Amino acid sequence: MTEDSNEKGGSSLNLDRFNEMLLESTAVGLAILDPESLTIIFHNKRLGEWFSHVEDRSTVLTDLFPDVNVERLRERMDKGRPYTAEVQVRVGRRDVSIALVVTMPTDEGVRHLIVECQNISKLKELEYMIESYSKMVEKQNRTLQREKDRAEKLLLNIMPRKVYEEIESFGVATPQRFDSASVLMLDFVDFTEMTISQDPTGLISELNEIFSAFDFIVERHNCERIKTVGDAYVAVSGVPEAVMDHAQNIARVALLFVRYLKRRNSQHEEQWRCRIGINTGALIGSMVGIQKYVYDIFGPGVNLAARMEALSAPMQITLCDEMHELIKSDFHFIDRGEAEVKGFGTKRIYTLAEAEDSATMELPPIPGHG
Amino acid sequence: MAGTMFERYGGFASVSKVVMALYDKLLDSDVTGPYFEDVDMRRLIDHQTKFVSHVMGGPASYTNEQLQQLHEHLDITDTAFAEVMMLFEETLEDFEFGPDDIQFIIKDLESRKSWIVSQNA
Repeated sequence: MTEDSNEKGGSSLNLDRFNEMLLESTAVGLAILDPESLTIIFHNKRLGEWFSHVEDRSTVLTDLFPDVNVERLRERMDKGRPYTAEVQVRVGRRDVSIALVVTMPTDEGVRHLIVECQNISKLKELEYMIESYSKMVEKQNRTLQREKDRAEKLLLNIMPRKVYEEIESFGVATPQRFDSASVLMLDFVDFTEMTISQDPTGLISELNEIFSAFDFIVERHNCERIKTVGDAYVAVSGVPEAVMDHAQNIARVALLFVRYLKRRNSQHEEQWRCRIGINTGALIGSMVGIQKYVYDIFGPGVNLAARMEALSAPMQITLCDEMHELIKSDFHFIDRGEAEVKGFGTKRIYTLAEAEDSATMELPPIPGHG
Repeated sequence: MAGTMFERYGGFASVSKVVMALYDKLLDSDVTGPYFEDVDMRRLIDHQTKFVSHVMGGPASYTNEQLQQLHEHLDITDTAFAEVMMLFEETLEDFEFGPDDIQFIIKDLESRKSWIVSQNA
């Protein structure tokens, strides 16, 4: 034998052996079936590891895979398409998930079915994990969203939505001038001397109830509560969004506050009597503070509203010329004449009244009445 | 180095590979194998991946009380616990975890031993 033929003979022999080794060592379980009876004609070592009872020429496919739908398998083979199924087998201590593919190669001239089995246990474990993590992430997202909603709700208590949205988009909110806006300032007469001040918890609880009612009224009339300080309540209209009827809105809210308190007082022992000052003018709206921030309003228009409040008798609403000019045709007023308003010179003062009260309302004296 | 150990080693994807490899070893071991005979491995691997992620500073959390609750009915012996530690260390090493990180994880697990090993075992 020449060296050449030796090599040839050797390599052809080795290739067979190599194929055999591949067949035995592959991680895929293989079997060849008789297409009619589905009896296993040949199986490799891996398949034998998974199914210890498999025996060539006596075991039928359905002995190994009882869930195989034979009718469907035959249908698929007739169409020349693969049949797939999954099954769980116990190997030693492990439950092994096996994916099964049955095909019928037609190019060989011999009709046999080829069964390929893959251990997909790891895949199944990963699938389970992915599902479990998706659920975990979903749950965390829901928690985050709830927290975000809660934070948003809290922040919306201390700043208008428009300002909140500006901060959310840009990180800061710039101070803004509002040329046409109206302010309402309210506080309670003799708050500190009210008998209930002996019971702070009860007092705060009542105040909270009243302010909540105010908030409700404010919201319904296109106004915005800016803050409460102790027993003082400040609301605006036209900030931070321009509103055509800001003066009317504030006047209406002021009347409703008084109406609400009158009704409440008629049903409760404790009598809450407010003073209200309202005014129209230019305002600056801005966030104040860095860590503990709050939205607030500034400007002479705010100060004048405070002066009007100071001029109010209990349960009355006071305003002066500029605002009166804007709303005089919509409401009823009592002209209280001119007065010297500190820092603002002489102003004509009015009391805003309910239609039925305007004729009979008792007018308190105004300090510095001109 | 930036990030938690969990992030440095590639998050859940990597931890799950380590845990799956660990359970291969645990099932093959005659000391620990019998504990897993009738266990839904998918669930167990999922739990263990989250737990190991938690130890590595990842986004999952387990309390020692939960560990105790999960293990108390299993009669886990000192020997079985030691075997798990040994195989865990080996697996982490297989996956080329740094020696300091391996020590950190093993020490953390050792510190939870009293919650896992049954007192009367």
